[in-house]
This record gives sequence, structure tokens and C-alpha cells, in this order.
Amino acid sequence: MKKIELQISVAEILLALALSAHAQDFPAEQIKQGADTYARHCAPCHGVRMKNPEGAFDLLTFPKDQDGRFRNSVAKGKNSMPPWESLLKPEEIDALWAYVVAGEKK
Amino acid sequence: MWAMLGVGAHAQTQQELSRDGNGGSTDNVLTYGMGYHQQRYSKLDQINKSTVKRLVPVWSASLGNEYGEQGQPLVYNGVMYAANVKRVIAIDVGTGRQLWNYDIEWDPAVPRVVCCGLNNRGVALFDGKVYVASLDAHVYALDAKTGKQLWKSKIAEWKEGYSITSAPSVVNGIVMSGMTGGEFGVRGFVVGLDAQSGKEIWRRHTTPDPTEKAYSTWPQDDSYKRGGASTWITGSYDPDLDLSYWGTSNGGPWTWKARPGDNLWVASVIAIRPKTGEIVWHYQWTPAETYDFDGNNENVLGELTINGQKRKVLMHADRNGLMYVLDRATGQVLAGNPYVKTNWATGVDLKTGRVVETDVAKRLRAGEQVEIEPRWTGGKNWMPMAFNPTTERLYFSMLEETAIYQLNKDLPEYKPGERYMGVTNTTKDRDTTKPWGYWGAVLPMTGKPAWRTPLMDLPSWSGAMVTAGGLVFTGNTAGDFAALDEATGKVLWQFKTPSGVNSQPITYTYKGKQYVSVFSGLGGGTSARRETAGKVLPAGTVWTFALMD
Repeated sequence: MKKIELQISVAEILLALALSAHAQDFPAEQIKQGADTYARHCAPCHGVRMKNPEGAFDLLTFPKDQDGRFRNSVAKGKNSMPPWESLLKPEEIDALWAYVVAGEKK
Repeated sequence: MWAMLGVGAHAQTQQELSRDGNGGSTDNVLTYGMGYHQQRYSKLDQINKSTVKRLVPVWSASLGNEYGEQGQPLVYNGVMYAANVKRVIAIDVGTGRQLWNYDIEWDPAVPRVVCCGLNNRGVALFDGKVYVASLDAHVYALDAKTGKQLWKSKIAEWKEGYSITSAPSVVNGIVMSGMTGGEFGVRGFVVGLDAQSGKEIWRRHTTPDPTEKAYSTWPQDDSYKRGGASTWITGSYDPDLDLSYWGTSNGGPWTWKARPGDNLWVASVIAIRPKTGEIVWHYQWTPAETYDFDGNNENVLGELTINGQKRKVLMHADRNGLMYVLDRATGQVLAGNPYVKTNWATGVDLKTGRVVETDVAKRLRAGEQVEIEPRWTGGKNWMPMAFNPTTERLYFSMLEETAIYQLNKDLPEYKPGERYMGVTNTTKDRDTTKPWGYWGAVLPMTGKPAWRTPLMDLPSWSGAMVTAGGLVFTGNTAGDFAALDEATGKVLWQFKTPSGVNSQPITYTYKGKQYVSVFSGLGGGTSARRETAGKVLPAGTVWTFALMD
């Protein structure tokens, strides 16, 4: 039983390390670019700095290992969200992802 | 002659439109607002305080839409015409069966330029045609019998931020339509189309160009071209004065720092001639608007007893928290008083006709972050109020939330079809011991409630209707459709529909029996989804009720 608990906590540590490493992968400049794009196009529904979303998905809870799902949802649209691929360039969506992963404290 | 007789027998005439809710047949509901005056009052009283307990659903039908139902159906000769952003359908009132369906197509990217929910608030009827506007800013005419498209007219380019969510209105062969896009740097207008061909006859912009006198209220540059003042709620109409009353939205961008001045005709009411679009008079609810206080809420026409005299007035509960009464022939303001908690202004100075701002407004304009009541969504939003000409009271859903609001240091950059705001706005955490808002009866001249019912668990974004049976019909986002005692607000009857009720009930007769119909379908506005998260799911349906025999 103790062994299992130990395994979990090791797994959690590894996961936390992986996530922080992930966050450090994004240059500050890219995160800033993402924040600007977010403020212009996303904040009205997803909330200023991702806080208190107006009914849209709470991005602070978006799984950090699902960048493909994120990119696809932004590009193609999801539920009430329209597709953005004809307005946002792929590098802008990359920057949004950087901001969502690393831009705000939870 | 035969052709004329044919038209008279099967198609709505101008006389029928003028008499709708005004002495015309109670079998029909032909206009947005249940009459050009938009009183949403019915003299029907079979369903009343005593009988309402026997009110039961007689049929329900799908509206094939999950984006939300804000619409008001129309009824003509036993056929209901219902619309949402995806379709128009015709339904047999007797059986609830669908007669035809018309799909409204638009590019899936269009919602990028729609600020506040994918809405369609209804259709117009005239001369055998059903008129509807689309999210991508077109107006369609359909054959009322078959649903076949007769014409389609492009009103504006959605990629430049223009869309339409309101019902058209037909007056003397002219189809008038408003538009929306006040968050995207549009230039507002009302358009008049030929009802037969769809050809544009006039376009009255709601910000002035440099040749017009009102241009002096703008910076002497081209900011009027992005100045907002969209027209997203259907205008009411007075056939005697031949004036149609349209409200206009917030300015563009939201921050007033980009457009110093009063900015006519932003956040105003304009009285226009349906034949030409000429502005005969105007009144500005919120000069130098910078709060997102759209002035679009409906302008209800009625008579009030003021100092012992009957006056023909226009009544309007603005987003800005003030209840206005205007002389509708001249635009003179007769009253302007808070009807909910309002901290940015104290009311209207009747001598100058101008709203009196408080220190909160001054600090906001100076660049401070301030708390504003009401929140930008308003003390009342689009959901229409009802007016009982006998009691001279207004019935509607009120909202009370607080904004945390600041004008950004940097002015926003304008790019066609993109957000153009320049404001940082969030909602103050709610004190859960306080209500979301109220259902209430309000005295137009004072803004004071005759009664009001606090709404604690969920707010109401539903339109109201009042009847001679002493009942107010309204709903809430949980999906309850309710009949309240007009005198006290007591809930006398309610029915739980499948999704939120944020629409516009109607009543009419069919084979001598009084019917009530309403749409259910949570949506229209991001706020509704925030408030109901985890509690209510969307899905559009229409419900029709009658008394059990």
C-alpha cells in the first residue's frame, strides 16, 4: 500500500516537472504576443486574463498536454466558438497556446 | 381587381398591420411587440387569475437549434411563423405540425463578428410574404404559403463586423431593418427596402457625416465611420404621426477617449419617417457614451396620465439604469429616473434634458478603475417589457450586477471585422445574499416599483406580456414559464420547459379559444451561459398552452 502511494507521488512530481519544463519552452515574447491576441479576440467570452469566463470554456483548466485539441478547436471552431483559421495565422494560434499554458497564474 | 381581392383574402394588409394589438382580430399576432406600439398587451381574458390553474400545454415542437431562442413568433390565419438563426418554420397552430422549413445559411466564421449570442428575434409579415434577417446581414423574403425564397438582399458585409439579430418591420410597403456590430467598429444605420423587390430605397446612418449638423458632436475627423450606434432592436411605429422609433447602441470603440464629444446619435432614440429614413427628432439617453450602455431597448408607445392630462408618450427602460418617458411627437423628455441601483448618474435634469453624471463617471473618464452600477449588461437588457394601458404600469425583468470597469491607456487599433473596444471590464463577485435581479412592475414616471420579486437562484432574461386577465407572463433561464398576478407579482402558475426561457411570449385566439405560445432555448448572450453553468442545457422548442376543458 505504501509502495503505491510512493509511486503516485513520484508520478505527480514527474508530471509537475514535465509541466514546468513545458512552460519554460515558450519564450516570454511569444507568451506576450499570445496575451495580446487573447485580449483582443478571446477575452470577451473567455474572460479578462482567463479569469471569470462569460460562460465560455475556462481555459485555466485546459489540459496542458492537449495542444492538438487546442489548435484544432481554435482553428475549426467548437460548440459556440466560431472557426478562427481565416483570421489568425498559425503562429498566432501557437502564441495563444503559449499564453494558455504559461501566461497566467492559476 | 381579381388579383387585389386575392391578395386581400390571403395576405396581410397594411390595415391589418396597423390594427394588430389595436382593435384587429385576436386570431392574429402580426408585428414584433404585439402591435406597432410594442405594448405586448392583450385584451384577451379567458385565461385569467381564476382560470390559469387549468392552463396546460396543447403541443410542442422542435425549433432545430441549440444556439438559443430569443424570438417572438407571429400568427396569421392559424399559421405560426417562428425563426431563429438557423431557420424559419411555419407551424399549424391547431395541430403543432410543421408546414414548411427554410434553412438560413451562413459562413461558420460569421459568429466572430457577433458579440453576444447567435440570435434572431423574429420575422415580419406583409402581403403573403415572411421577412427575416440573417446573422450575415441579409434580408430574405419568403412565400408565406410555401417557404420558398422570393428574394434576398445583402444589407452589409459581415467581414466588416456587420450582422443582424433583430426582426424586420414593415410599414407602408417598406421593410425596415436594423443591424448590429457595435463591438466591431461599424457605422450604424437603419435600412428601408421595397417589400416587393428587396431593392434598397433608403439607408439612414446613425452617425452623422461631415455635411450634417450633428457632426459637430464628433471629433472633426473620420471617427464617425467606426462610431457604432447600431440598431439591433426593431423600432416601434406610430401610424398617426408616421414616425418609427429606433434605439441606437454604444459608441465605437467602447472607450470615449477615442471620440471625445457627445457623439450623436449614439445611445439615443431617433424618430424616423419610414418612407424616407429622415430623422425628425432625436434624444440621447447617454451623451458621450463610454459604458457600453446601448440605447437599443424597445421604445413602447402608449398614453400616460400626467398632471391629470393624457399624454401620448414613448417609454424606455435604458441599459443605463434610467426609466425614460418622452413626448413622442416632439422628443421632449418628461421623466428620467433610476429603476435599479445606478451609481454613474442620478437622473435626468428636465430643464436641460441631459443626464446628470456622478463622481463615479468623472473618475472613470479620468482613467480610474471604478465599480459601475448597473453592469454593462444594463438594469434591463434587450428582453422587452409589457405595458398595460389600463394600469399604466410596465412589467419587465431587471438585472443588478456591478462592473469593474476601466478605459485602457492605449486606444484600440481599428481593423475591419475585429473587436474595437479599448476597455477592460470584469464583473464584481456577486454577494449571494443579494438577488440577480427582479421581476417587477414599474411606474413609468418615477421608475419606482409597484412590486418586485427578487430572483435569487437565477436571473431572468425573458420578455414579458400582460393581459386583461390580470396576468403577466414571463420566464427565467431555468426554463420556468410563469404567469404572475399583475397586481402583486405572485406566481399563480408555472410550467417547466426543457431549456431556458429567454424569449417573447404571445397570446391569440384559435377557433374561439385563447392560446399562449413561447419559445424555450437557453442562449443569446454569454451572460446566460455563465449564470446557468452546470444547471441548464440548450435546445430550442416552442410551446403552446390553452385551458383544459
